[in-house]
Amino acid sequence: MITRRLAGPAAALFAVLAMPALAQQPLRIGVVNPFTGPLALYGDEMTRGYEIAAEQANAKGGVLGRQIVLVRGSATNPQEAIAAVEQLVGRDKVELLSGTYVTAISNAGSEAALNNSKLYWETNALAKDLTDRGLPNFLRSGPDSNSFARRSVEGVLQLVQPRLAKPAKDLKIWIEHEDSAFGTSIAKEQERLLKEAGITPTLSSHSARAVDLSDAILRAKNANPDLWLSTGYVIDHNLLLRTAREQSFRPPAMMLVGTGDTFETLEAVGKEFLNGILLVSYPRTDVGESYGPGATAFLKAYQAKYSRDPIAPQAMSAYVGFKIMLEAVAAARSTEYEKVVAAAAAMDKPLGSYETGYGVKFDKTMQNVRALPLVAQWQDGTVRAVFPAEAIPQGGKVFDLGRR
Amino acid sequence: MADLVNVVTVGILLGGIYALVSVGLNLIFGVIRIVNFAQGEFVMLGMYGAYAGYAFLRLDPYVSLLVLLPLFFLFGAVVQRLLLAPLRNEPSMQIFATFGLLMLIENVVLALTRGTAYSVPSPVSQAGIGLFGIQVGVVRLIALAAATAAAVGLGLFLRNTMPGRAIRAVAQDRAAATLMGVDVERIYMITFGIGTALAGLAGCLLAPIYSLSPQIGTSFILPAFAVVVLGGLGSVLGAYVGGFVVGLTEALAGYYLDPALKYAVIFGVFVLVLIVRPSGLFGKVGAEEVGLRDQS
Repeated sequence: MITRRLAGPAAALFAVLAMPALAQQPLRIGVVNPFTGPLALYGDEMTRGYEIAAEQANAKGGVLGRQIVLVRGSATNPQEAIAAVEQLVGRDKVELLSGTYVTAISNAGSEAALNNSKLYWETNALAKDLTDRGLPNFLRSGPDSNSFARRSVEGVLQLVQPRLAKPAKDLKIWIEHEDSAFGTSIAKEQERLLKEAGITPTLSSHSARAVDLSDAILRAKNANPDLWLSTGYVIDHNLLLRTAREQSFRPPAMMLVGTGDTFETLEAVGKEFLNGILLVSYPRTDVGESYGPGATAFLKAYQAKYSRDPIAPQAMSAYVGFKIMLEAVAAARSTEYEKVVAAAAAMDKPLGSYETGYGVKFDKTMQNVRALPLVAQWQDGTVRAVFPAEAIPQGGKVFDLGRR
Repeated sequence: MADLVNVVTVGILLGGIYALVSVGLNLIFGVIRIVNFAQGEFVMLGMYGAYAGYAFLRLDPYVSLLVLLPLFFLFGAVVQRLLLAPLRNEPSMQIFATFGLLMLIENVVLALTRGTAYSVPSPVSQAGIGLFGIQVGVVRLIALAAATAAAVGLGLFLRNTMPGRAIRAVAQDRAAATLMGVDVERIYMITFGIGTALAGLAGCLLAPIYSLSPQIGTSFILPAFAVVVLGGLGSVLGAYVGGFVVGLTEALAGYYLDPALKYAVIFGVFVLVLIVRPSGLFGKVGAEEVGLRDQS
């Protein structure tokens, strides 16, 4: 009885005594990403964003008075994600987890994190289903697939339609998408939003692993659309664009969602054919400072640390997501997921608060509704932000949509 | 009608690609009697070989061929001698060995490239020919011509040269060929070398069409299996014609039905052929089994 009565105060005393010791210990954060395999390029790129954010935070004294140490856990599929999380928590003693380039990895990794009572802070994976699950340890600071669909349709209605000078009912849109959950979920949402705007698009899907996509291009060409709107991965987008070039398929406007904005596509297709093609992607470092304050500083930090330009825009989105996580941890004064999620839910920052132009406001599924992708455009071999207008850097403009 | 002609043209050009990838696969099966799962990875290596030629020496992929073909022949011969020959009495283990080789090659390339999608430029990669409203890419025409030349050249080699006759003799009856003084192990090595060189040829010629990824070999090997089963296991002519059957089926199904359904249609036909005629269109009855087999 005496023992039980003393247990509470004793535990509190122990916690107080232990606090300085804990403050001395580094805060270990697990990073779950594909660091091997075909997606390693982007897993590495995202993690560079985390590394810069951690380094900058450490220079200011860390978080909760503790220096941040990142520990990598490589996962190329759901099974490996579970193993990586178990290892990060069990062996490496991480207190928080963050990721992920791939939805399937995030899905499995976050459930494994919940089994270990750890927070899983998602910065990049897109599928809306991730937040719809309602996992109590999961939230997403970056845009979801619906926001990509929404931004692409905004681009269609505010950028493409006025330039094509056609009423909605006459606008012919061909929606092409790769047939996994990623492409399908975005295409279905695009279809819904376009129908709301009085446009009835045609949908067509393809396998991202197909050896030949001539049929997809010939079908689209036969439909003679005003806009060809495609969601896919790097390899299938490159093959689609090469086939379009080969088949002389040059509709008045083309828009790619998700990929198509890196040197890989530029090398595969060439700048002449790419000129004018619109892209819906994560905000890039060239956004105007009024839209994304600090984007230029991030670019300089990246160049200084890695001696080259960012490979893909995912890095800056990961960087911002990691910063938001650290702010939530600091506000929670804890790494326990319940407290961090509660602190994140209380955050309220307007659009334009971060380098990507993101703000912070989580909805009830813990999706940050103030994280929005941008519409950019290939212009003479360079990708430039073109929508919304406030994201356009000084001196920037929208090229003719018609292929030059 | 114009649509149909266009789709058929696309199908024939695609058939040329499949034939190019499948001829070597079928030669290896016809002679050594193993299904080489790593054949697609050899194609992938051919693509990366063309990329290396471009990246380090600024060589056009069609020039890189001159260097890569002998290298691939040697590579195939070494693989046969070091990996497959020791398992000569265990055919099932040989198949597993080629699967292990597939995983090894794919993961080594993954580790080296970290998944970056490289491209191999060529002056002809953007060239196209337009005729009566039909657009044809020059690189695809070259692949078609090369597939035809490879099939014809291989057929002539097998019929009219001593090594070719020795290969056919081993394919027909290994024991009888041994009694006639043919060095069977040497023939196996040469055959695997030729099959690997044909994969390298395919890789070089296809490099200007695709973005390179370590998984692209797997994308090719699945339709290639359909090609060799449809055309006839072990038949060079079968691989050539089977390529066009699969290419046309894919193009027609993709255009007139649904691109998402085209592989379902191809493999539906694949299963049907296995049920109705296990030896394929040009294979002799029993060719799918270990035993007597003539090369056409």
